[in-house]
Amino acid sequence: MNLPKLKQSRRLTYTDYLYNFFATITGLTIFNWQFIKQAFIPPYEISEIKKHMDELGVKTFGIVSITGLIIGLVLAMQSQPVLQRFGATDFLPGMVALSVVRELGPVITALIFAGRVSSGIGAELGSMRVTEQIDAMEVSAVNPFKYLVVTRIIATTMILPVLSVYVIIIAIFGGYIAVIITENMNIYYYIDSVLRSVEFGDFIPGVAKTFVFGYIVGLVGCYKGFTAEGGTEGVGRASTTSVVLSSLLILIFDMILVKISLWIWPTLG
Amino acid sequence: MADIRVVEIKNVSKRFDDLIVLDNISLEVHRAENLVVFGRSGQGKSVLLKIIIGLMPPDSGNILIKGQNISELTVSELNRLRKNIGFLFQGSALYDSMTVRENLSFPLKRTYPDMSQSEITNKVVSTLDLVSLEDAIDKMPSELSGGMKKRIALARSIITDPELMLYDEPTTGLDPITTKEISELIINLQKRLNMTSIAVTHDLICAEIIADRAIFLKDAKVAYEGNIKELTGSNDPFLKNFFSHEFVPQ
Repeated sequence: MNLPKLKQSRRLTYTDYLYNFFATITGLTIFNWQFIKQAFIPPYEISEIKKHMDELGVKTFGIVSITGLIIGLVLAMQSQPVLQRFGATDFLPGMVALSVVRELGPVITALIFAGRVSSGIGAELGSMRVTEQIDAMEVSAVNPFKYLVVTRIIATTMILPVLSVYVIIIAIFGGYIAVIITENMNIYYYIDSVLRSVEFGDFIPGVAKTFVFGYIVGLVGCYKGFTAEGGTEGVGRASTTSVVLSSLLILIFDMILVKISLWIWPTLG
Repeated sequence: MADIRVVEIKNVSKRFDDLIVLDNISLEVHRAENLVVFGRSGQGKSVLLKIIIGLMPPDSGNILIKGQNISELTVSELNRLRKNIGFLFQGSALYDSMTVRENLSFPLKRTYPDMSQSEITNKVVSTLDLVSLEDAIDKMPSELSGGMKKRIALARSIITDPELMLYDEPTTGLDPITTKEISELIINLQKRLNMTSIAVTHDLICAEIIADRAIFLKDAKVAYEGNIKELTGSNDPFLKNFFSHEFVPQ
Protein backbone atom coordinates (compact mmCIF):
# COMPACT_ATOMS: atom_id res chain seq x y z
CA MET A 1 0.00 0.00 0.00
CA ASN A 2 1.71 3.15 -1.21
CA LEU A 3 0.27 6.17 0.56
CA PRO A 4 1.29 9.69 -0.44
CA LYS A 5 3.61 11.29 2.10
CA LEU A 6 2.58 14.62 3.60
CA LYS A 7 5.03 17.50 3.63
CA GLN A 8 6.17 18.07 7.20
CA SER A 9 7.92 21.29 8.03
CA ARG A 10 7.59 24.11 10.49
CA ARG A 11 7.23 26.52 7.61
CA LEU A 12 4.80 25.21 5.04
CA THR A 13 3.85 27.32 2.03
CA TYR A 14 0.29 27.60 0.68
CA THR A 15 1.30 25.19 -2.09
CA ASP A 16 2.43 22.69 0.55
CA TYR A 17 -0.91 22.99 2.37
CA LEU A 18 -2.74 22.43 -0.90
CA TYR A 19 -0.50 19.44 -1.66
CA ASN A 20 -1.15 18.01 1.84
CA PHE A 21 -4.90 18.49 1.40
CA PHE A 22 -5.00 16.44 -1.79
CA ALA A 23 -2.46 13.93 -0.44
CA THR A 24 -4.71 13.36 2.61
CA ILE A 25 -7.78 12.82 0.44
CA THR A 26 -5.84 10.41 -1.79
CA GLY A 27 -4.36 8.63 1.24
CA LEU A 28 -7.75 8.24 2.91
CA THR A 29 -9.25 6.89 -0.32
CA ILE A 30 -6.46 4.30 -0.71
CA PHE A 31 -6.72 3.42 2.99
CA ASN A 32 -10.49 3.05 2.67
CA TRP A 33 -10.12 0.79 -0.37
CA GLN A 34 -7.56 -1.31 1.48
CA PHE A 35 -10.05 -1.70 4.36
CA ILE A 36 -12.79 -2.85 1.99
CA LYS A 37 -10.43 -5.37 0.39
CA GLN A 38 -9.12 -6.79 3.67
CA ALA A 39 -12.28 -6.73 5.80
CA PHE A 40 -13.75 -9.72 3.97
CA ILE A 41 -10.62 -11.89 3.95
CA PRO A 42 -10.10 -14.28 6.88
CA PRO A 43 -8.90 -14.33 9.63
CA TYR A 44 -11.61 -12.01 10.96
CA GLU A 45 -10.00 -11.33 14.37
CA ILE A 46 -13.39 -11.42 16.10
CA SER A 47 -11.87 -11.39 19.58
CA GLU A 48 -9.93 -8.21 18.77
CA ILE A 49 -13.09 -6.53 17.44
CA LYS A 50 -14.96 -7.47 20.63
CA LYS A 51 -12.08 -6.20 22.76
CA HIS A 52 -12.02 -2.85 20.96
CA MET A 53 -15.81 -2.47 21.16
CA ASP A 54 -15.67 -3.16 24.85
CA GLU A 55 -12.83 -0.68 25.42
CA LEU A 56 -14.37 2.04 23.26
CA GLY A 57 -17.76 1.64 24.90
CA VAL A 58 -16.33 1.83 28.41
CA LYS A 59 -14.02 4.70 27.47
CA THR A 60 -16.81 6.92 26.18
CA PHE A 61 -19.74 5.78 28.32
CA GLY A 62 -19.25 8.40 31.05
CA ILE A 63 -18.70 11.38 28.81
CA VAL A 64 -21.60 10.60 26.46
CA SER A 65 -23.92 10.08 29.43
CA ILE A 66 -23.17 13.56 30.75
CA THR A 67 -23.34 15.05 27.27
CA GLY A 68 -26.71 13.42 26.55
CA LEU A 69 -28.21 14.62 29.80
CA ILE A 70 -27.00 18.18 29.21
CA ILE A 71 -28.25 18.24 25.60
CA GLY A 72 -31.76 17.29 26.76
CA LEU A 73 -31.74 19.70 29.71
CA VAL A 74 -30.47 22.69 27.75
CA LEU A 75 -32.71 22.03 24.77
CA ALA A 76 -35.81 21.86 26.97
CA MET A 77 -34.78 24.86 29.08
CA GLN A 78 -34.13 26.98 25.98
CA SER A 79 -37.31 25.95 24.19
CA GLN A 80 -39.72 26.14 27.10
CA PRO A 81 -40.01 29.98 27.33
CA VAL A 82 -40.44 30.28 23.57
CA LEU A 83 -43.16 27.62 23.44
CA GLN A 84 -44.80 29.17 26.51
CA ARG A 85 -45.07 32.48 24.65
CA PHE A 86 -47.19 30.73 22.02
CA GLY A 87 -49.02 28.59 24.55
CA ALA A 88 -47.53 25.48 23.02
CA THR A 89 -45.69 23.89 25.95
CA ASP A 90 -47.49 20.62 25.23
CA PHE A 91 -45.27 20.29 22.18
CA LEU A 92 -42.09 20.43 24.30
CA PRO A 93 -41.56 16.65 24.71
CA GLY A 94 -42.03 16.07 21.00
CA MET A 95 -39.76 18.94 20.07
CA VAL A 96 -36.97 17.75 22.36
CA ALA A 97 -37.33 14.18 21.13
CA LEU A 98 -37.38 15.09 17.44
CA SER A 99 -34.35 17.38 17.72
CA VAL A 100 -32.40 14.78 19.64
CA VAL A 101 -33.40 11.81 17.51
CA ARG A 102 -32.94 13.41 14.12
CA GLU A 103 -29.87 15.53 14.58
CA LEU A 104 -28.41 16.47 17.93
CA GLY A 105 -28.06 13.01 19.46
CA PRO A 106 -26.22 11.33 16.56
CA VAL A 107 -24.05 14.32 15.62
CA ILE A 108 -22.99 15.38 19.10
CA THR A 109 -22.30 11.78 20.12
CA ALA A 110 -20.20 11.37 16.97
CA LEU A 111 -18.24 14.57 17.69
CA ILE A 112 -17.59 13.54 21.29
CA PHE A 113 -16.65 10.06 20.07
CA ALA A 114 -14.26 11.59 17.52
CA GLY A 115 -12.59 13.69 20.21
CA ARG A 116 -12.21 10.77 22.58
CA VAL A 117 -11.63 7.82 20.27
CA SER A 118 -10.14 9.11 17.02
CA SER A 119 -7.38 10.92 18.91
CA GLY A 120 -6.77 7.82 21.04
CA ILE A 121 -6.48 5.56 18.00
CA GLY A 122 -4.26 8.12 16.23
CA ALA A 123 -1.94 8.35 19.23
CA GLU A 124 -1.88 4.60 19.90
CA LEU A 125 -1.14 3.53 16.34
CA GLY A 126 1.18 6.51 15.84
CA SER A 127 3.16 5.46 18.89
CA MET A 128 3.27 1.87 17.62
CA ARG A 129 4.49 3.11 14.25
CA VAL A 130 7.34 5.27 15.55
CA THR A 131 8.50 2.63 18.05
CA GLU A 132 8.58 -0.02 15.29
CA GLN A 133 5.86 -2.13 16.94
CA ILE A 134 3.94 -2.21 13.64
CA ASP A 135 7.10 -3.37 11.85
CA ALA A 136 7.57 -6.00 14.56
CA MET A 137 4.08 -7.25 13.87
CA GLU A 138 4.78 -7.42 10.15
CA VAL A 139 7.99 -9.42 10.59
CA SER A 140 6.05 -11.82 12.83
CA ALA A 141 4.07 -12.66 9.67
CA VAL A 142 1.02 -10.81 11.00
CA ASN A 143 -0.82 -8.42 8.73
CA PRO A 144 -0.79 -5.23 10.86
CA PHE A 145 -3.42 -3.55 8.69
CA LYS A 146 -5.86 -6.35 9.37
CA TYR A 147 -4.99 -6.78 13.02
CA LEU A 148 -4.81 -3.11 14.00
CA VAL A 149 -6.83 -1.17 11.43
CA VAL A 150 -9.66 -3.39 10.21
CA THR A 151 -10.60 -4.46 13.74
CA ARG A 152 -10.69 -0.88 15.03
CA ILE A 153 -12.74 0.47 12.12
CA ILE A 154 -15.30 -2.33 12.51
CA ALA A 155 -15.44 -1.70 16.27
CA THR A 156 -16.02 2.07 15.93
CA THR A 157 -18.63 1.49 13.21
CA MET A 158 -20.55 -0.94 15.42
CA ILE A 159 -20.29 0.83 18.76
CA LEU A 160 -21.21 4.42 17.78
CA PRO A 161 -24.85 3.59 16.84
CA VAL A 162 -25.26 1.89 20.23
CA LEU A 163 -23.87 4.94 22.02
CA SER A 164 -26.08 7.24 19.95
CA VAL A 165 -29.26 5.39 20.86
CA TYR A 166 -28.16 5.54 24.49
CA VAL A 167 -27.50 9.30 24.24
CA ILE A 168 -30.90 9.86 22.63
CA ILE A 169 -32.61 8.10 25.54
CA ILE A 170 -30.56 9.99 28.13
CA ALA A 171 -31.20 13.32 26.37
CA ILE A 172 -34.96 12.72 26.33
CA PHE A 173 -34.75 11.94 30.03
CA GLY A 174 -32.73 15.16 30.50
CA GLY A 175 -35.51 17.04 28.76
CA TYR A 176 -38.01 15.61 31.23
CA ILE A 177 -35.90 16.81 34.18
CA ALA A 178 -35.95 20.35 32.73
CA VAL A 179 -39.71 20.15 32.22
CA ILE A 180 -40.60 19.00 35.74
CA ILE A 181 -38.53 21.81 37.28
CA THR A 182 -40.99 24.38 35.95
CA GLU A 183 -44.07 22.45 34.88
CA ASN A 184 -46.10 19.81 36.57
CA MET A 185 -45.93 17.25 33.79
CA ASN A 186 -46.59 13.58 34.40
CA ILE A 187 -43.81 11.23 33.20
CA TYR A 188 -46.35 9.00 31.38
CA TYR A 189 -47.70 12.02 29.54
CA TYR A 190 -44.13 13.06 28.66
CA ILE A 191 -43.25 9.58 27.33
CA ASP A 192 -46.53 9.32 25.49
CA SER A 193 -45.91 12.72 23.81
CA VAL A 194 -42.41 11.64 22.85
CA LEU A 195 -43.61 8.35 21.33
CA ARG A 196 -46.45 10.06 19.46
CA SER A 197 -44.06 12.65 17.98
CA VAL A 198 -41.20 10.40 16.89
CA GLU A 199 -41.92 8.17 13.92
CA PHE A 200 -39.93 5.29 12.52
CA GLY A 201 -38.80 7.54 9.67
CA ASP A 202 -37.30 9.99 12.19
CA PHE A 203 -35.39 7.35 14.09
CA ILE A 204 -33.86 5.32 11.26
CA PRO A 205 -31.97 8.06 9.34
CA GLY A 206 -30.63 9.49 12.61
CA VAL A 207 -29.23 6.18 13.78
CA ALA A 208 -28.21 4.98 10.31
CA LYS A 209 -25.87 7.90 9.81
CA THR A 210 -24.02 7.04 13.02
CA PHE A 211 -22.69 3.93 11.27
CA VAL A 212 -21.07 6.27 8.74
CA PHE A 213 -19.79 8.57 11.51
CA GLY A 214 -18.33 5.60 13.40
CA TYR A 215 -16.63 4.43 10.23
CA ILE A 216 -15.17 7.92 9.68
CA VAL A 217 -13.83 8.08 13.25
CA GLY A 218 -12.12 4.70 12.92
CA LEU A 219 -10.84 5.27 9.41
CA VAL A 220 -9.33 8.70 10.09
CA GLY A 221 -7.81 7.72 13.45
CA CYS A 222 -6.24 4.60 11.96
CA TYR A 223 -5.03 6.41 8.84
CA LYS A 224 -3.37 9.19 10.81
CA GLY A 225 -1.83 6.80 13.34
CA PHE A 226 -0.71 4.22 10.78
CA THR A 227 1.05 6.84 8.68
CA ALA A 228 2.59 8.78 11.59
CA GLU A 229 6.27 9.61 11.36
CA GLY A 230 8.74 11.87 13.07
CA GLY A 231 8.92 10.56 16.65
CA THR A 232 6.81 11.89 19.48
CA GLU A 233 6.00 15.06 17.54
CA GLY A 234 4.53 12.86 14.83
CA VAL A 235 2.42 11.00 17.39
CA GLY A 236 1.04 14.29 18.73
CA ARG A 237 0.32 15.47 15.21
CA ALA A 238 -1.45 12.19 14.38
CA SER A 239 -3.62 12.52 17.45
CA THR A 240 -4.59 16.16 16.86
CA THR A 241 -5.22 15.90 13.14
CA SER A 242 -7.32 12.77 13.68
CA VAL A 243 -9.79 14.75 15.77
CA VAL A 244 -9.86 17.76 13.45
CA LEU A 245 -10.25 15.72 10.28
CA SER A 246 -12.80 13.25 11.63
CA SER A 247 -14.92 16.07 13.15
CA LEU A 248 -14.86 17.95 9.88
CA LEU A 249 -15.77 14.85 7.87
CA ILE A 250 -18.60 14.04 10.31
CA LEU A 251 -20.15 17.47 9.70
CA ILE A 252 -19.69 17.25 5.92
CA PHE A 253 -21.17 13.75 5.75
CA ASP A 254 -24.00 14.81 8.08
CA MET A 255 -25.00 17.44 5.55
CA ILE A 256 -24.87 14.90 2.70
CA LEU A 257 -26.74 12.22 4.66
CA VAL A 258 -29.48 14.63 5.75
CA LYS A 259 -30.04 15.48 2.09
CA ILE A 260 -30.12 11.78 1.17
CA SER A 261 -32.52 10.92 4.02
CA LEU A 262 -34.87 13.72 2.96
CA TRP A 263 -34.76 12.32 -0.53
CA ILE A 264 -35.59 8.79 0.72
CA TRP A 265 -38.16 9.94 3.31
CA PRO A 266 -39.64 13.15 1.85
CA THR A 267 -42.19 13.33 4.68
CA LEU A 268 -39.37 14.17 7.09
CA GLY A 269 -39.09 17.61 5.61
CA MET B 1 26.76 -27.57 5.68
CA ALA B 2 28.43 -24.19 6.17
CA ASP B 3 28.55 -23.43 2.47
CA ILE B 4 24.76 -23.29 2.06
CA ARG B 5 23.83 -19.72 1.28
CA VAL B 6 21.00 -18.56 3.52
CA VAL B 7 21.03 -14.91 2.45
CA GLU B 8 22.22 -13.56 -0.89
CA ILE B 9 22.22 -9.83 -1.47
CA LYS B 10 22.73 -9.05 -5.13
CA ASN B 11 23.51 -5.53 -6.34
CA VAL B 12 21.13 -3.86 -3.94
CA SER B 13 20.79 -0.08 -4.07
CA LYS B 14 18.61 2.24 -2.03
CA ARG B 15 18.30 6.00 -1.90
CA PHE B 16 16.12 8.48 -0.01
CA ASP B 17 15.64 11.56 -2.16
CA ASP B 18 19.20 12.67 -2.93
CA LEU B 19 20.84 10.53 -0.26
CA ILE B 20 22.24 7.22 -1.50
CA VAL B 21 22.34 4.83 1.47
CA LEU B 22 23.17 1.58 -0.31
CA ASP B 23 25.01 1.54 -3.62
CA ASN B 24 25.14 -1.75 -5.47
CA ILE B 25 25.78 -3.89 -2.39
CA SER B 26 26.38 -7.61 -2.83
CA LEU B 27 27.13 -10.15 -0.13
CA GLU B 28 26.32 -13.65 1.01
CA VAL B 29 25.71 -15.17 4.42
CA HIS B 30 26.11 -18.90 4.88
CA ARG B 31 24.32 -21.30 7.19
CA ALA B 32 25.27 -20.99 10.88
CA GLU B 33 27.46 -17.98 10.10
CA ASN B 34 27.31 -14.80 12.17
CA LEU B 35 27.90 -11.72 10.08
CA VAL B 36 28.39 -8.37 11.77
CA VAL B 37 27.73 -5.19 9.81
CA PHE B 38 29.63 -2.14 10.99
CA GLY B 39 29.27 1.40 9.79
CA ARG B 40 28.87 4.95 10.99
CA SER B 41 25.41 6.27 11.83
CA GLY B 42 23.23 6.89 8.81
CA GLN B 43 25.23 4.56 6.56
CA GLY B 44 22.28 2.31 5.73
CA LYS B 45 22.92 -0.59 8.11
CA SER B 46 19.38 -0.74 9.50
CA VAL B 47 17.99 -0.08 6.01
CA LEU B 48 19.87 -3.16 4.80
CA LEU B 49 18.21 -5.31 7.47
CA LYS B 50 14.77 -3.90 6.65
CA ILE B 51 15.32 -4.66 2.98
CA ILE B 52 16.35 -8.23 3.81
CA ILE B 53 13.15 -8.85 5.82
CA GLY B 54 11.00 -7.12 3.19
CA LEU B 55 9.90 -4.15 5.29
CA MET B 56 11.40 -1.83 2.70
CA PRO B 57 11.80 -2.49 -1.03
CA PRO B 58 15.22 -1.94 -2.63
CA ASP B 59 15.39 0.52 -5.54
CA SER B 60 17.28 -2.11 -7.51
CA GLY B 61 18.87 -5.50 -6.95
CA ASN B 62 17.60 -8.70 -5.39
CA ILE B 63 17.48 -10.37 -1.99
CA LEU B 64 17.41 -14.14 -1.94
CA ILE B 65 16.63 -15.97 1.27
CA LYS B 66 17.24 -19.70 1.02
CA GLY B 67 17.11 -19.25 -2.73
CA GLN B 68 13.78 -17.40 -2.79
CA ASN B 69 13.78 -13.93 -4.29
CA ILE B 70 11.71 -11.94 -1.80
CA SER B 71 10.65 -9.29 -4.32
CA GLU B 72 8.94 -12.00 -6.37
CA LEU B 73 6.98 -13.48 -3.46
CA THR B 74 3.31 -12.86 -2.76
CA VAL B 75 2.35 -11.47 0.66
CA SER B 76 1.39 -14.92 1.95
CA GLU B 77 4.60 -16.48 0.59
CA LEU B 78 6.63 -13.70 2.20
CA ASN B 79 4.81 -14.24 5.49
CA ARG B 80 5.55 -17.97 5.29
CA LEU B 81 9.21 -17.14 4.78
CA ARG B 82 9.18 -14.64 7.66
CA LYS B 83 8.08 -17.36 10.04
CA ASN B 84 11.65 -18.65 9.74
CA ILE B 85 13.23 -15.28 10.39
CA GLY B 86 13.63 -13.50 13.72
CA PHE B 87 14.21 -9.76 13.97
CA LEU B 88 15.48 -7.97 17.05
CA PHE B 89 14.64 -4.27 16.79
CA GLN B 90 16.91 -1.51 18.00
CA GLY B 91 14.29 -0.16 20.42
CA SER B 92 13.06 -3.69 21.31
CA ALA B 93 9.60 -2.88 19.83
CA LEU B 94 7.73 -4.79 22.53
CA TYR B 95 3.95 -4.35 22.27
CA ASP B 96 3.14 -1.76 24.95
CA SER B 97 -0.40 -2.95 25.51
CA MET B 98 0.57 -6.59 26.08
CA THR B 99 2.24 -8.36 28.98
CA VAL B 100 5.51 -10.22 28.45
CA ARG B 101 3.51 -13.47 28.20
CA GLU B 102 1.26 -11.98 25.50
CA ASN B 103 4.23 -10.47 23.66
CA LEU B 104 5.80 -13.90 23.39
CA SER B 105 2.56 -15.78 22.70
CA PHE B 106 1.61 -13.43 19.87
CA PRO B 107 4.07 -14.64 17.18
CA LEU B 108 3.67 -18.21 18.40
CA LYS B 109 -0.12 -18.21 17.94
CA ARG B 110 0.28 -16.75 14.45
CA THR B 111 3.00 -19.15 13.37
CA TYR B 112 1.44 -22.26 14.90
CA PRO B 113 -2.34 -21.69 14.99
CA ASP B 114 -2.98 -25.29 16.03
CA MET B 115 -0.84 -25.05 19.16
CA SER B 116 -2.80 -25.58 22.38
CA GLN B 117 -2.81 -23.01 25.19
CA SER B 118 -0.75 -25.25 27.46
CA GLU B 119 1.83 -25.82 24.72
CA ILE B 120 2.04 -22.06 24.17
CA THR B 121 2.51 -21.45 27.89
CA ASN B 122 5.22 -24.11 28.10
CA LYS B 123 7.06 -22.63 25.11
CA VAL B 124 6.81 -19.10 26.53
CA VAL B 125 8.15 -20.23 29.91
CA SER B 126 11.01 -22.25 28.39
CA THR B 127 12.01 -19.35 26.11
CA LEU B 128 11.94 -16.91 29.02
CA ASP B 129 14.11 -19.37 30.87
CA LEU B 130 16.70 -19.11 28.07
CA VAL B 131 16.97 -15.37 28.69
CA SER B 132 16.74 -15.82 32.48
CA LEU B 133 13.58 -13.77 32.84
CA GLU B 134 10.90 -16.28 33.84
CA ASP B 135 9.84 -14.01 36.70
CA ALA B 136 8.90 -11.21 34.30
CA ILE B 137 6.22 -13.26 32.56
CA ASP B 138 3.26 -11.19 33.77
CA LYS B 139 4.95 -7.80 33.70
CA MET B 140 4.13 -5.02 31.28
CA PRO B 141 6.97 -3.66 29.07
CA SER B 142 6.81 -0.36 30.98
CA GLU B 143 7.88 -2.21 34.13
CA LEU B 144 11.09 -3.53 32.54
CA SER B 145 14.58 -2.01 32.38
CA GLY B 146 16.34 -1.43 29.03
CA GLY B 147 18.37 -4.64 29.36
CA MET B 148 15.31 -6.67 30.33
CA LYS B 149 13.41 -5.29 27.35
CA LYS B 150 16.23 -6.37 25.04
CA ARG B 151 16.19 -9.87 26.55
CA ILE B 152 12.42 -10.15 26.22
CA ALA B 153 12.59 -8.86 22.64
CA LEU B 154 15.29 -11.45 21.96
CA ALA B 155 13.10 -14.15 23.49
CA ARG B 156 10.17 -13.02 21.33
CA SER B 157 12.27 -13.11 18.18
CA ILE B 158 13.57 -16.65 18.81
CA ILE B 159 10.37 -18.19 20.15
CA THR B 160 9.39 -19.56 16.75
CA ASP B 161 12.84 -21.20 16.37
CA PRO B 162 13.89 -19.15 13.33
CA GLU B 163 16.69 -20.28 11.05
CA LEU B 164 17.82 -16.73 10.39
CA MET B 165 18.16 -13.94 12.96
CA LEU B 166 18.55 -10.27 12.16
CA TYR B 167 19.77 -8.04 14.98
CA ASP B 168 19.46 -4.28 14.69
CA GLU B 169 21.82 -2.75 17.26
CA PRO B 170 21.23 -5.47 19.86
CA THR B 171 23.25 -3.75 22.59
CA THR B 172 22.73 -0.04 21.96
CA GLY B 173 22.23 1.98 25.11
CA LEU B 174 23.24 -0.83 27.46
CA ASP B 175 26.06 -0.80 29.99
CA PRO B 176 29.19 -2.91 29.20
CA ILE B 177 28.20 -5.74 31.55
CA THR B 178 24.69 -6.06 30.13
CA THR B 179 26.19 -5.74 26.64
CA LYS B 180 28.41 -8.74 27.34
CA GLU B 181 25.50 -10.68 28.83
CA ILE B 182 23.27 -10.01 25.82
CA SER B 183 26.09 -10.84 23.40
CA GLU B 184 26.88 -14.11 25.21
CA LEU B 185 23.19 -14.88 25.17
CA ILE B 186 23.05 -14.29 21.40
CA ILE B 187 26.03 -16.51 20.70
CA ASN B 188 24.78 -19.26 23.04
CA LEU B 189 21.35 -19.24 21.44
CA GLN B 190 22.90 -19.38 18.02
CA LYS B 191 25.04 -22.36 18.91
CA ARG B 192 22.11 -24.08 20.55
CA LEU B 193 19.62 -23.45 17.75
CA ASN B 194 22.17 -23.50 14.88
CA MET B 195 20.94 -20.16 13.57
CA THR B 196 22.39 -17.94 10.90
CA SER B 197 22.57 -14.28 11.83
CA ILE B 198 23.25 -10.79 10.60
CA ALA B 199 23.87 -8.20 13.29
CA VAL B 200 24.13 -4.48 12.73
CA THR B 201 26.11 -2.80 15.47
CA HIS B 202 28.53 -0.08 16.48
CA ASP B 203 29.48 -2.03 19.53
CA LEU B 204 32.91 -3.65 19.41
CA ILE B 205 32.35 -5.67 22.60
CA CYS B 206 29.26 -7.26 21.10
CA ALA B 207 30.93 -7.79 17.70
CA GLU B 208 33.99 -9.46 19.21
CA ILE B 209 31.77 -11.96 20.98
CA ILE B 210 29.35 -12.83 18.19
CA ALA B 211 31.08 -12.21 14.83
CA ASP B 212 32.43 -14.92 12.54
CA ARG B 213 32.87 -12.36 9.80
CA ALA B 214 32.41 -8.61 9.60
CA ILE B 215 31.81 -6.05 6.90
CA PHE B 216 32.10 -2.29 7.12
CA LEU B 217 29.70 -0.04 5.21
CA LYS B 218 31.16 3.27 4.12
CA ASP B 219 29.87 5.70 1.51
CA ALA B 220 26.98 3.31 0.79
CA LYS B 221 29.34 0.46 -0.19
CA VAL B 222 30.99 -2.51 1.50
CA ALA B 223 34.33 -0.84 2.11
CA TYR B 224 36.01 -3.52 4.25
CA GLU B 225 35.43 -7.20 4.85
CA GLY B 226 37.19 -9.76 7.01
CA ASN B 227 37.15 -11.29 10.44
CA ILE B 228 36.88 -9.00 13.42
CA LYS B 229 40.62 -9.12 14.22
CA GLU B 230 41.53 -8.11 10.71
CA LEU B 231 39.23 -5.11 10.87
CA THR B 232 40.22 -3.95 14.34
CA GLY B 233 43.93 -4.53 13.65
CA SER B 234 43.86 -2.79 10.29
CA ASN B 235 46.27 0.09 9.64
CA ASP B 236 43.63 1.88 7.60
CA PRO B 237 43.23 5.32 9.28
CA PHE B 238 39.44 5.22 8.92
CA LEU B 239 39.11 1.84 10.63
CA LYS B 240 41.67 2.86 13.27
CA ASN B 241 39.58 5.92 13.98
CA PHE B 242 36.41 3.87 14.20
CA PHE B 243 37.73 1.17 16.50
CA SER B 244 40.24 3.01 18.70
CA HIS B 245 39.44 5.34 21.56
CA GLU B 246 41.72 8.03 20.20
CA PHE B 247 41.20 10.24 17.22
CA VAL B 248 43.61 9.28 14.43
CA PRO B 249 44.11 12.00 11.79
CA GLN B 250 43.29 10.69 8.30
